[in-house]
Formats: sequence, C-alpha cells, structure tokens
Amino acid sequence: MKLKILPPHLRNKKRYLAFEVRSQNPLTRDEVISLIWGAAGGLYGSCGVSGFDLWVVKVWKCNSSGQNITKGILRCRRGKVDRVRSVFPVINRFKGKRVVFHTLGVSGTIKSARRKFIKEGSQSLF
Amino acid sequence: MILFFDFHVKDDPELVKEADRLGYAGLALFSNGNGNNSSGNGNKVEVASGETTNQENSTKKENPIKTYKGIFISAKNPESMRQKVKKSRKNADVIMVRGGDQKINRAACEDPQVDILSAPYLKRRDCGINHVMAKKAALNEVAVELNIKYLTKTNSYLHYKVLSHFREIIKLERKYGFPLIITSDAESIYDLHTPQDLIALSGCFGLDREEAEAALSETPQKIIERSETRDKVVVDGVKIIE
Repeated sequence: MKLKILPPHLRNKKRYLAFEVRSQNPLTRDEVISLIWGAAGGLYGSCGVSGFDLWVVKVWKCNSSGQNITKGILRCRRGKVDRVRSVFPVINRFKGKRVVFHTLGVSGTIKSARRKFIKEGSQSLF
Repeated sequence: MILFFDFHVKDDPELVKEADRLGYAGLALFSNGNGNNSSGNGNKVEVASGETTNQENSTKKENPIKTYKGIFISAKNPESMRQKVKKSRKNADVIMVRGGDQKINRAACEDPQVDILSAPYLKRRDCGINHVMAKKAALNEVAVELNIKYLTKTNSYLHYKVLSHFREIIKLERKYGFPLIITSDAESIYDLHTPQDLIALSGCFGLDREEAEAALSETPQKIIERSETRDKVVVDGVKIIE
C-alpha cells in the first residue's frame, strides 16, 4: 500500500537551482548526476549531503557554436542553497576532460526556474 | 549593485568575454602565467606588458568590462623580488608576487609597492604567514590571495588541507585586518566561476557573506584606487592635489 502523502507543513521545503555545464565532451544525464554527487560527497561527506535532499530534476542539451552546453535543474532543500551552490566550483574534471558548472539562478518552482533561466532554444530533452 | 572583480586571470580575449558573461565588472590580466615567468629579466617583463596594453585597448572597445594590467613576479630571493617590483611598478596596475617561500612571503608583506601576495601556502605544509607577517601586511596594505584554482587543482582527498590553510589565513585576517582577495587564477574558461558560486564556496572555509563580498569587490577596488593615486603620493601621507 502506498504511504499517505504528508501534510504540507511537514513536507520539506524545496528550492530549484538552474545550472549550466560546459564541457569538452558531451555529457549524459547520468554523468551529470554522478559528477554532482561525487563532488558533494567529497566536500561535505555523506552526513552533510543527506541533509541537502539533492535530486536532478531534468537535464537539457543545448549545444551552441561548437561548445557542449548542458543545462539542468537541481532540487535541494530550502536553506541549504548556498551549500549546494558551493559544490559547483569544486567540479573541474570528468574522465580527464575539463568541465565547469555555473549556477544560473534559484527559483521556488520548476516552472519558473525553466522559464527564467533555461531559454527556449534548448528543446532536445534527454 | 556590487561590482565583482577577478584579479588573477590569464591574458586571453576569450576569458575576458566569458568573465563578462558571468557578471564580473573587471579583471586583472596576467600575460606571464602562474610561476612560468622564468627568473624574469627586465626585458621580458617589458615586452609582456607591452602586449597587454594592445590587447587591453581592443578588449575595452568590445566589452564594458574593465581590464587592468597585472605583472606576476616570481623571484628566488627577497632581493631580486624587490628589484623586479621596483622595475615593473610603473608598467603595471597590479603587482602580484608569487608566495610559497617563507622569506619571499615576508619580503612581500613588508613591501608597500606590492599589491597582492599570491598563494603564500603554495607547496607548504602551513598557511605561509604568521602574526608578524600579518601585521606587516595590514600596515602596508598587501592583499593575501585565496586561490580557488589551488583548491580545485589539489586531489579531492587533500581538499581539507587547503581549506584549513584558508581558515588559518582568515583567522589572522580577522585579528589583524589585512586585505583578503579571492581569485580564480583562470587559464581557460573552465576555471572561471560566477561570483555568487565563489561566495557560496567561501562559506566552506569560514567566510561569511559580507566578508566574501568584500574579498571579491572592495579589496580589488582599493588596489586600483591605490595604484591610480600612487604617482601623486610623495611620502607616506603626503599627496599632490591639483
């Protein structure tokens, strides 16, 4: 039987971080996830990351002018946004090639995060 | 709105463009990369700085982002460091001295002509400065650099060491009040990060938001202000006013 959904005041409050990845090689969704998890685990350890409620919601591929650009939305707990953000500068390599993560912005809903920070040109979802 | 600056970037138009996109207001460009400046004889320094001026002009037209000319000095002993600083002071807006050696760290802290002491913890087991140097740095307004690339370049299992060096420096900064500066030391676009991400990261080594903003914005502005008025200062405390 499915659990009854929690009442709103007991649910964890969320924030959505829109981010952008520039890399020398194209990345898949799983690779983006493993990069973020690896870096977060390295910087804060399992104990810290368990409080972040990290979840990669969606990832878009939007290459432009020869550069591999991936954009995505990362969910985290409200109040931990700064800690989650601080994980991004630590990521710099993937399989010997360079990658860089930038935060595009923080939003309260997936819809507005997508509307504000991920432009229309990025349709190819995966 | 706060203006953010990155004062340790390789001289490359692509990097300037990328930094503009990421929201920086100004950069200090170093044409002689990190530590590669072989014992740096005078000619070399002059040629390198001449190139910077040309590129500086071209980038100024394209972008509203401000660029400043920086000279990176790596010396083997304090004596040659002082000579090189003296020689290149007039050609540069920002002078950065490569730290790491204890004697050079100290000489840089004692020299008011130096703007930034770069990475005093470089290849060391301690943070590279102590209370004596901290006092001198505060007196001479020599900024101490926290190099983000040094953090990301080290193996992830040694991050704790770099972070603890940063913490030591911040502890001294809170006590003696020398300027602190956070730089990216970027050589490619993959080394640049948005200022907001860097502020978030600086929470990891114990800086709060205001201090981090000051390290990215106020300290660089003061350095530029000082280098602009440096010609007019006759002696310490005496300035020519036109």
